[in-house]
Amino acid sequence: MAATSAPAPKKKKGTGDLAKQEERLAYILLVPTLVILFIIAFYPLGTVFANSLTDRRFASADPVEFVGLDNYINLLSLTVKELPQAVDEETGQPMVDPETGEPVYVTAIDVLPRDPRRYRDLSQFSLFGNRYVLGATDRDFVRSIGDTLRFTFFTIILETVIGLGIALVVNSKFKGRGVMRTIMLVPWAIPTAVSSRMWEYMFNSTRTGFFNVVFQMAGLGNGQIPFLVDQAWQLPAMIAIDVWKTTPFMALLLLAGLQLIPRELYEAADVDGAGKVRQFFSVTLPLLQPTIAVALVFRTLDAVRVFDLFQIVLTKTRYSMASFAYYQLIDSQAMGYSSASSVIIFAMITVFAIFYIRLLGVSDD
Amino acid sequence: MTKEQSALINKVLFYIVIVIIGVYLLFPFYWAINSSLKTEAQLQMTPATFIPRSPDTNVISPTFQNYAAVFQNERFRGGLVNSAVVAVATTVIALSVGAFAAFALGKLRFRGKKPSLYLILSMTMFPQVAVLTGLYAVIRTLGLPAIPSMILSYMLFTLPFTVWVLTAFFQGLPTEIMQSAQVDGATPFQTFYLILLPLTAPALVTTGLLAFINAWNEYLFALTFTTIEPNARTVPVVIALFTGQISRQEPFGEIMAAAVVVTIPLIILVLIFQRKIMEGLTAGAVKG
Repeated sequence: MAATSAPAPKKKKGTGDLAKQEERLAYILLVPTLVILFIIAFYPLGTVFANSLTDRRFASADPVEFVGLDNYINLLSLTVKELPQAVDEETGQPMVDPETGEPVYVTAIDVLPRDPRRYRDLSQFSLFGNRYVLGATDRDFVRSIGDTLRFTFFTIILETVIGLGIALVVNSKFKGRGVMRTIMLVPWAIPTAVSSRMWEYMFNSTRTGFFNVVFQMAGLGNGQIPFLVDQAWQLPAMIAIDVWKTTPFMALLLLAGLQLIPRELYEAADVDGAGKVRQFFSVTLPLLQPTIAVALVFRTLDAVRVFDLFQIVLTKTRYSMASFAYYQLIDSQAMGYSSASSVIIFAMITVFAIFYIRLLGVSDD
Repeated sequence: MTKEQSALINKVLFYIVIVIIGVYLLFPFYWAINSSLKTEAQLQMTPATFIPRSPDTNVISPTFQNYAAVFQNERFRGGLVNSAVVAVATTVIALSVGAFAAFALGKLRFRGKKPSLYLILSMTMFPQVAVLTGLYAVIRTLGLPAIPSMILSYMLFTLPFTVWVLTAFFQGLPTEIMQSAQVDGATPFQTFYLILLPLTAPALVTTGLLAFINAWNEYLFALTFTTIEPNARTVPVVIALFTGQISRQEPFGEIMAAAVVVTIPLIILVLIFQRKIMEGLTAGAVKG
């Protein structure tokens, strides 16, 4: 580095030369960073886009074919079909469940299209007395989008609200404040792989697991709740783990924002006779808004690409968008298909990132 | 109720809230430590005990056999070494390469500065999963073994962040220092190397700590790139894929012991550098 940037003969120069010299040095200093980022980000991103349009398989010598938007269509196709009531073959009458009196419908496979793409049923719902089925060509991926977005929505709301609460508490002066701030950094600092496994054990499906013990003590459940297997419990469990791991981080960011608010504002509010609640809504919240906004977007970007937690705890029973892309690559060797799902994640995150850059702005002086 | 009484009640309530927050944040660690000190038989007790107790007599009886087991586990020991190598190398490279770029962006005048800054800033939130397939292909083409692959690919999340934070730091240094050095005949590079770089030491420590922790904790790339090279696995991957010597059931006692072992150095790091880490976190997220 030093050798290449050694300036030419050290004689007196005009300002134009100096400016040129400075500019050249700047480019030389930037080169290593740009080269590294090119190798590990821009070039791979380009190949991901290119591969997403092919049927390329990973570590395979098979010829690669251009398939256009096929992968995307396969990932995202949805359809809604009405489910007709099943007809009794003997009587020709619409079938009704003899016990409940509810109408019986034909199975979803009978109405979902099979050509040119095969749709599978994602969920069923009733509207205006009719029964419908929602079908998707890739059930797992469509489900992973829904799960990832739900995960993002709930973790962010909970983390912001609880984080703000913790920040407000820790912002007041008390003995042990330093200790508290250290404790708050710990969940952030440990690897997600480690915290995921700690929580996985607490969620054990027998009374060897902490939550089953506590739930049973509280009279909820029989001590055998399969939190990580039961569809209804999986997502709440993921959200609980993430909230624990990330709320303290959120609280620390908000705490930093709180400390930027001048004390005088509160003193003035005191003089004016504004109560604590009033002060919170007319002083704290408006002044904290930029910090909250930045923290929110930061968290959104992180939550949309959640991988570790889902892959470790739920493995292949339920996917986040990122863990879906991972399994498509490693387990199914479907490089083209995996790439297409990555591009969709990338597109979603880019939208948030542009919003974020707008929010922050870049100063260049 | 007198004023003193209500103040006292407020204080008590306040400390109750503090204790609740503290317990919430620390309980999973407590549970991991508790479980790591139990034998397989104790782990099977229902309901689970809050302290390791003997199944027969209910007497408190912790065991260290799980710790002995994880330290005998070659994968785990190897994981600690691999993680240390990867995290240290990532930090050193990100800081040295990043400091050059940050100096250029923070203190030199050149065309294309604003686009470069935008590029770096947008890179700080680049999703790793977006390049997973492409990056793996690049690594296979280059024929890199898993450990250098991890170090190289971790630049994706350490380098832009380092450059961004250090650039802000360089911008904050007075330009007069540079000008007076130039008047004394120093080249811009000498100014950078001899005068500005020593001044950035605090910022280097802050960004270095964050780079180290992020590299130590990374999971997606480590998992993917060590698929065919299990000996190169880092600690998070080892713990995620942990199976015991007898892999009939998941050996949670050992997993918890491993989790505790990995967490302790990070807690020490946080204890020592709490202030520095906070500076880095807020520098990355909140523009002061």
